[in-house]
Amino acid sequence: MATLIIKNLHASVKGKEILKGVNLELKEGETLALLGPNGHGKSTLLAAIMGNPAFEVTEGEIYLDGEDVLAMTPDLRSKAGIFLGMQYPAEIPGLNSADFLKSAMNAHREKPMSLFTFYKSLQDAYAEIGIPFEMSKRNLNEGFSGGEKKRNEILQMKLLAPKFAMLDEIDSGLDVDALQVVASAIRKEQERGAGFLVISHYARLYGLINPTRAAVLVNGRIAVEGGPELIEKIDKNGYEWIKTELGIDIEKETDSPMNKVSIGACATKVKINGKDSK
Amino acid sequence: MVKTVSSENLNSLLYIDEIPSNEHIVVKGGETLKINFAIFNSSIEGKIDIDVEEGGLVEGAFADFSPNAGKFVINVNLNGFGASCNWHLASLAHKDEKKVFETSVMHNSEGTNALMSNYGIARDSGNLTFSGTSHIKHGSVNANTRQDAKIIVFDKDSDGKAMPILRIDDNDVQASHAAVVGRLNEQHLFYLESRGISEDDAKRIIALGYLKPIEEFFADEEVLKMIDSAIEGGI
Repeated sequence: MATLIIKNLHASVKGKEILKGVNLELKEGETLALLGPNGHGKSTLLAAIMGNPAFEVTEGEIYLDGEDVLAMTPDLRSKAGIFLGMQYPAEIPGLNSADFLKSAMNAHREKPMSLFTFYKSLQDAYAEIGIPFEMSKRNLNEGFSGGEKKRNEILQMKLLAPKFAMLDEIDSGLDVDALQVVASAIRKEQERGAGFLVISHYARLYGLINPTRAAVLVNGRIAVEGGPELIEKIDKNGYEWIKTELGIDIEKETDSPMNKVSIGACATKVKINGKDSK
Repeated sequence: MVKTVSSENLNSLLYIDEIPSNEHIVVKGGETLKINFAIFNSSIEGKIDIDVEEGGLVEGAFADFSPNAGKFVINVNLNGFGASCNWHLASLAHKDEKKVFETSVMHNSEGTNALMSNYGIARDSGNLTFSGTSHIKHGSVNANTRQDAKIIVFDKDSDGKAMPILRIDDNDVQASHAAVVGRLNEQHLFYLESRGISEDDAKRIIALGYLKPIEEFFADEEVLKMIDSAIEGGI
């Protein structure tokens, strides 16, 4: 059985330490609900596991079946069986969605798929996730609504069939019907045996996918782990009990260095060779 | 080489490795001019002025893989009511080339429409500049104009500049522009890599997204094959 082990993980963004020693273990077939107040490191943890270059791992280890994940580039982590459904999927201009999916699926195979097999898989997946097949002709995530982007992440998860899928607020931007479709796709992957690490602020998604465990990330560390009853407790009472029961002061959310980027649609901003010009 | 096709209301010009140095073309009322350039071995040096009369349409596309430095200038004058222009450029500047594309459109009448869309890649010490003015002159109410300029700079020895300019002399018009010059977006690369695509392939795929769409404006099978091969060889 595949196992993902995170030991004493420290990670920083632009020099600011966000993760301060995370320890976590996840087995294939388990679904772990990752909870915690905003700004305490949940998304950072998932991004660091996937190898996002914006996050620097300064200490600690990650192992997938004994293999050193931190030594792998993001593409190798994907091929090893890790998937990240992102909170804000990138819009890539000019890149046709179907071409991208074919490249991604073939990257996971020894030999490229036949066109027939590829299109059959694609049509089935689009139908299951409830996305019109016509959208496979559009540029990747470009002009997609928030809900369409999230469905598109789930579509990719289904096509790549990972050992471990990490989903970062995959339910944000989804209407009630779309949430049911996404939850159904997650349940199918659970039945296949995939492990899940799921971030959500709402008990509704968790109620549909039945996590086997829950963990609460506070101040960059796992403050408490337990069964799914933790989800209900937080849904009812928030996070204040962590202070009263566990004696952990919850640090207030500060401005994230990642949020200080603003790009104007019609502005020219050139930064090349260290020089700024407008 | 120039390939020409003419029918009742459509004139089609396809320049392959050849650009006129100082050409003046008139598109008569209600007619369409399709003017395409595919440059693989010669220079982009050249200048074209096009006057478009009432209801006329210019559809232009430029696929540039020239190995030489140079400057290309196109000025489109939309002189009659409802005259329109759609322009698309994909350019690859590499191997120490310095290329300049100046694509301008003048709205001289009511209800005129223009889209000037320029995409490019600068790599291996390549230097690419997109400039051009969209000018809506007084009296050109209900005119609609847009200038897009996007350049990806692949390495520290390459450079790109995008300088689209809007000049608007009247009210009740629509005008917009977008200019983006930058390195390969790290988060775009990460997104593709997180799906199992290697860094080199991810860079190639993103570059394809800038160059490949130009193919939809070319119908000539032989030229399409040449563009395909130039894109594959260039990135």
